Amino acid sequence: MKPLANVNARDLPHAASLLAQAAKDGRRASLAGGGSDLLGLIKENLVAPDLLVNLKSVKGGGDVAPGADGLTIGGLVTLDALSRHPLVRRAYPVLAEAAESVATPQIRNVATLAGNVCQRPWCWYFRGGFPCLKNGGQTCYAVSGENQFHAIFGGGPSYIVHPSDTAPALVALDAQFRVVGPAGERVVPAAEFFTLPARDPTRENVLGPDEVLADVRLPPARPSSRGTYHKVLDREAWTHAVVSAAIVLDFDPGGVCRGARVVLGGVAPVPWRLSRVERMITGQRITPELASRAAEAAVERASPLARNGYKVPLTKTVVRRTLLSLAGKAS
Amino acid sequence: VGEEAGVPLKTLGHPTPRVDAFERVTGKATYTGDVLRPGMLYARVLRSPHPHARIRRIDLAQARALPGVKAVITRQTCEVIWSSGDSRNRRYLFNDPVRFVGDPVAAVAAVDRHVAEEALRLIAVDYEPLEFVLDPEEALQPGAVAIHPGGNLSPDGEGRRQPEVYRRGDVEEGLRSADLRFEDRYTSVHHNNAQLEPRVSVAEWDGGKLTVWASTQGISNCRSDLAKDLKLAPEDVRVVCKFMGGGFGNKNQCHDFDLMAAVLARETGAPVKLELTRREDYTCVHGRWPTRQYYKVGVDRDGTLRAIQLRGYSGMGPYRKSSGQIAGVELYRCPNVETVVHPVYTNMAVSANFRAPAYPQGVFGLESLMDHVAYALKIDPVEFRLQNLSRRYHDELPYSSGGLEACVRRGAEAFGWKARWRPPAADAGPIKRGVGMAMGSFAARVGRSSAVMRLDASGRVFLHVGVTDVGSGAKTTMALIAAEALGVPLNTVEVVSGDTDRCPYSVGESGSRTTGFTGYAVVEAARDLKRQIEAKGRPQGEAVLIASATPDPKLEGVARYSFAAHFLEVEVDVETGRVRVTKYVAAHDSGRIVNPLTATSQVKGGATMGIGMALHEELVYDRATGVPLNPGYYGARVMTHLDAPEVEVHFLEVEDAHGPFGAKSLGEPPIIPSVAAVANAIFNATGRRVKDLPITRERLLAALS
Repeated sequence: MKPLANVNARDLPHAASLLAQAAKDGRRASLAGGGSDLLGLIKENLVAPDLLVNLKSVKGGGDVAPGADGLTIGGLVTLDALSRHPLVRRAYPVLAEAAESVATPQIRNVATLAGNVCQRPWCWYFRGGFPCLKNGGQTCYAVSGENQFHAIFGGGPSYIVHPSDTAPALVALDAQFRVVGPAGERVVPAAEFFTLPARDPTRENVLGPDEVLADVRLPPARPSSRGTYHKVLDREAWTHAVVSAAIVLDFDPGGVCRGARVVLGGVAPVPWRLSRVERMITGQRITPELASRAAEAAVERASPLARNGYKVPLTKTVVRRTLLSLAGKAS
Repeated sequence: VGEEAGVPLKTLGHPTPRVDAFERVTGKATYTGDVLRPGMLYARVLRSPHPHARIRRIDLAQARALPGVKAVITRQTCEVIWSSGDSRNRRYLFNDPVRFVGDPVAAVAAVDRHVAEEALRLIAVDYEPLEFVLDPEEALQPGAVAIHPGGNLSPDGEGRRQPEVYRRGDVEEGLRSADLRFEDRYTSVHHNNAQLEPRVSVAEWDGGKLTVWASTQGISNCRSDLAKDLKLAPEDVRVVCKFMGGGFGNKNQCHDFDLMAAVLARETGAPVKLELTRREDYTCVHGRWPTRQYYKVGVDRDGTLRAIQLRGYSGMGPYRKSSGQIAGVELYRCPNVETVVHPVYTNMAVSANFRAPAYPQGVFGLESLMDHVAYALKIDPVEFRLQNLSRRYHDELPYSSGGLEACVRRGAEAFGWKARWRPPAADAGPIKRGVGMAMGSFAARVGRSSAVMRLDASGRVFLHVGVTDVGSGAKTTMALIAAEALGVPLNTVEVVSGDTDRCPYSVGESGSRTTGFTGYAVVEAARDLKRQIEAKGRPQGEAVLIASATPDPKLEGVARYSFAAHFLEVEVDVETGRVRVTKYVAAHDSGRIVNPLTATSQVKGGATMGIGMALHEELVYDRATGVPLNPGYYGARVMTHLDAPEVEVHFLEVEDAHGPFGAKSLGEPPIIPSVAAVANAIFNATGRRVKDLPITRERLLAALS
């Protein structure tokens, strides 16, 4: 590891200005929240920062603040604290469950929500230092390589899957992301925060090099809504989702679904929203037949690679079962 | 050995916490990574990014110029041959051509880790990439690139280019005359031992004497290897390993990094600590050899086995460290047997010893096929085993004690096989339960090892034995044997271990031999001490009594084996491919159990490791570049506590006449039947047999669709 400097950010605008200043000076800077992903990236020589901008020094950066217009969650909240927060557990269970499903207790104790949302992909070509699109090269090695864990939706030219568990949950909750830059801040809807590789294969979201994800704002939860996060993983702990589903449904008193958000993880370079499925089930009572039809519709646009075809039936099962489990809770 | 018939044991045979448990759990224990020496330098290794390449040029100027760099060694400056790294060819510490991704190219010693790592980045190597081959069968095809002169079939012990062959009877005739013939192909992959403690070595010279703090399963072997390869007298080499954190077979010998640390320490005149990352541990040391197994079995309609034929291929990586055998046929009684196994050079990571090296993959193939035969003949799988299992080693030598049959019967009863077994795919819903079983056996060898005892006037016994305790509880085992043999309380015995200057020769913790070899020496040393007490009385004042033994027992006319049969139940979700092991019963004959507490842990650990091998673990290679993709705990999906089932352990405790207090081997056997039992249970649950390890979600869903 080469030497690097550390600066403790006073607040997020300060952090953004440090990033901007570093860029001006031709120095490479990395944000360090919990540092759990950054440390691995540095050790594998995927990033080599001259400067760490430490965010743990930002006071209140991880506060969870209820308000009239919903809940504001500071990006620096640890995944453990988020998953245990009583209000989050009660009103936004999809997010609590997603946070709880990440990695291991050790990692959840330090890893932050913003870091999880902005986590770099876990594609083994990227992490292995291959000169791939994500590492600034010209090729996605997964296309003709070992692609059993890669994207079945939205791929091209890169076929990574977005690794975050909390990201699909935040999209399903219609969260708004507050982004702080050196010149001020902007608010980006969760669904627009994540970007497909077709737009820019080197990045996974719209954050500029001098911007910081400050907090996420959740709209007020309806008492009539139900949500859950279903994660399929290759062992019982410490793997990313093979396929996951973050689903939030709103039911009328008669048990008819009157609003739906269905978002997949582990299958696409971004949290993959299934708008067609959402429309199919809105206004309907969720029966086993409807859930099966919704599951078929979920994979209509899937285009698997040579070795990840199994994700197609797996996705169907996850969508069907998760819809039915929520319908069961509603009745 | 060591016991009057019929006298109950006072100390041995009772569940006993490890004698060093407190030090281990409080952080007081000094592992090799904890060793700090005054003025110590840190070393790192530069490794080939290519699976096969010639080195045109190495430019060290920039690395040497980096402040803090003390020494850089390469093939140009270091001609040391790592003899235990390859039993067939000369394997230098740094080789040209490099033959796998991770083959060492240079090593750097510097004032700290970061400078050493930075120096690696400043070494410019000009490679000429060569063709490479990963697949052992492709490596034997005409036209395949030769990894060593003479081709890719690794020569046998006499240097002949021919496969390893075992034959009895006439297999062609047996196949021809049997009522039915079965033929199938099973495969297994390279996966890593995944021991907890990573790789580290500290070397220091004092004049012409070398001390190496190693993480090793055998200080005596490590010392003799170091002496041989550095051309030193054995007495000029001291190896220390007071506590170690596991190896599962990949820390048996001295390693190239031990030698590199010694060479760098000599060049710099300072102690050197050489550390490997987990990525290096996974790709640059060794794991289990991958296999291709082609079987033909002849069987009569009544279930009598008539012939077993195996043609096998084992991918050894580019250096031959171990046998490459595919074991299992000795589980069955059969008049006509032929196994022809080809150990093959490839450009993958080196393959060598990993807990029962030749067994779990071979038994996966054979026990899957035997299960298939039983189902095809409509014979209960347990009945089929009872009908055909081995009663004599290779149908020839009698076993010294116990046997497979008792394990199968005890396990089946404890598991409730008769009540639990149902025809394949009996459940209608997506979650399907099924049961499976498999057998295993493993040599419980006897041989030379030493022990020294010192008794002082206070009654304390210092027991000097050259064990390192790889996690098996060897220190506690030795103390229990000594206490029982001497008839003294356990807390009067202090074990002095893990230092070749303080301890006599021990065979090392490989081949599940420590209890049988070194434990036997402890019994003999105790006998010597008791004789001395009888003759001279107990020591008084400053006097001490010193006893020792270096027995070299031999077996005559018998085969000494440990046996096992595992039974388990799985739940398979056929819509998601999720497999859970929901019940597990392991029946073992390892003779007398010295310490039921640590012995039970061995079985649980082995069973769990086998489930990981069955379902998850594989070092995945990118076929286009020959680069491994998932080195490390995360990528390998090693079992976690949440994945591990409760394992019910049954010991048959048949005393063996040749072991200390009747004990036989235990460390390796538990992984042997586990993998096949999982595979067989998945078949019973789903009606589909997956013939390639690991049985991943991808493979299982493909088999089910």
